[in-house]
Amino acid sequence: MSRIKHISIVIILAFLGLIMLLDLNKIPNQFEYANSIYHHITNNAVGETGSLNFVTAILYDYRAYDSMGESTIIFGAVSGIVLLLSRKTLPVSSHGLSFIVKRTYGMLTPFIFLFSVYIIAHGHLSPGGGFQGGVILGAISIIFSIVYGSEFDYKRYTPTTKTLLETSGALLFIGIGLIGIIYSGSFLSNLNILNSEPGSLLSAGSIPFINLGIGFKIGAGLAIIFYSMIQKTFKEEASL
Amino acid sequence: MINHIVFIFIFLLGFYAILVKKSLIKMVIGLNIMEGAIFYWFIAITDRGGIIPIVQSTQVAFNLNDPIPQALILTGIVIGASTSAFLLTLIIELNKFTDSTNPDQLGGIIED
Repeated sequence: MSRIKHISIVIILAFLGLIMLLDLNKIPNQFEYANSIYHHITNNAVGETGSLNFVTAILYDYRAYDSMGESTIIFGAVSGIVLLLSRKTLPVSSHGLSFIVKRTYGMLTPFIFLFSVYIIAHGHLSPGGGFQGGVILGAISIIFSIVYGSEFDYKRYTPTTKTLLETSGALLFIGIGLIGIIYSGSFLSNLNILNSEPGSLLSAGSIPFINLGIGFKIGAGLAIIFYSMIQKTFKEEASL
Repeated sequence: MINHIVFIFIFLLGFYAILVKKSLIKMVIGLNIMEGAIFYWFIAITDRGGIIPIVQSTQVAFNLNDPIPQALILTGIVIGASTSAFLLTLIIELNKFTDSTNPDQLGGIIED
């Protein structure tokens, strides 16, 4: 019975794949238009935004409002997860890994933090940006929980600090948007007064500051998600 | 052509996992595989054979890849991570009540 079911599912999926292939072949291979937005961005993005990384220029300048909605989705996911997995008391946790791993990670932590801040701050000059650096920032909290035990993570990097970081990141983003209203009349418009020579660290108007806000927001949000999940797991293991 | 074939294979692999697997966590993994297939396909079909869209100086470089699909896919990756985390949280909560992640066993337990 199960074998017949599997074979019929595979046959149906093969037909589905054939239909998809016939449809997808109608897509043209080259998307070449004379006055497409691709030509506008590759010709004018450096002059208009000051950012050498065009992906960052699109994310935090041309469609920065959309990026704000994206970070709101992260905020919604974090809120839902914390609501579902909320727990008042700190459960008994593991005591982490061995002494060697703890000392090694103790030496490595500042460099991991430096690397994440580098990725965030150079988002407009090199590959990277707020989202990517923020994930590395969140990984610091995750390795804290694994290597030192979640009690250490709770004491050194408290949930209050994480909430504060996430909220301040979001407020920095929205605050830059409101300053844009005062400066040039539209929400999240680029603050051209902060521009300098393209290629220097503080060059692309408000883009580095938005990167900073997004980075702290994503890093703290991922740390909160992981902390909520690991908390529940340890509680169930302790009760068994 | 090869992009479409690879995309359809990976996409239907994830869809097969959602249809057949008996664990909710494996179904979430299948959903992530489908997302990965879409991200790969979207980047692959908009490839111009150029370099990454980052310039060295203010001089206009030509033959860059299109930065717009990359920005869109970055949005998609972040949203996919959020929905995966939320789905896994719902599975954790479900596991607390039913001690199972098998979707076939959920109905009988809810009737009790």
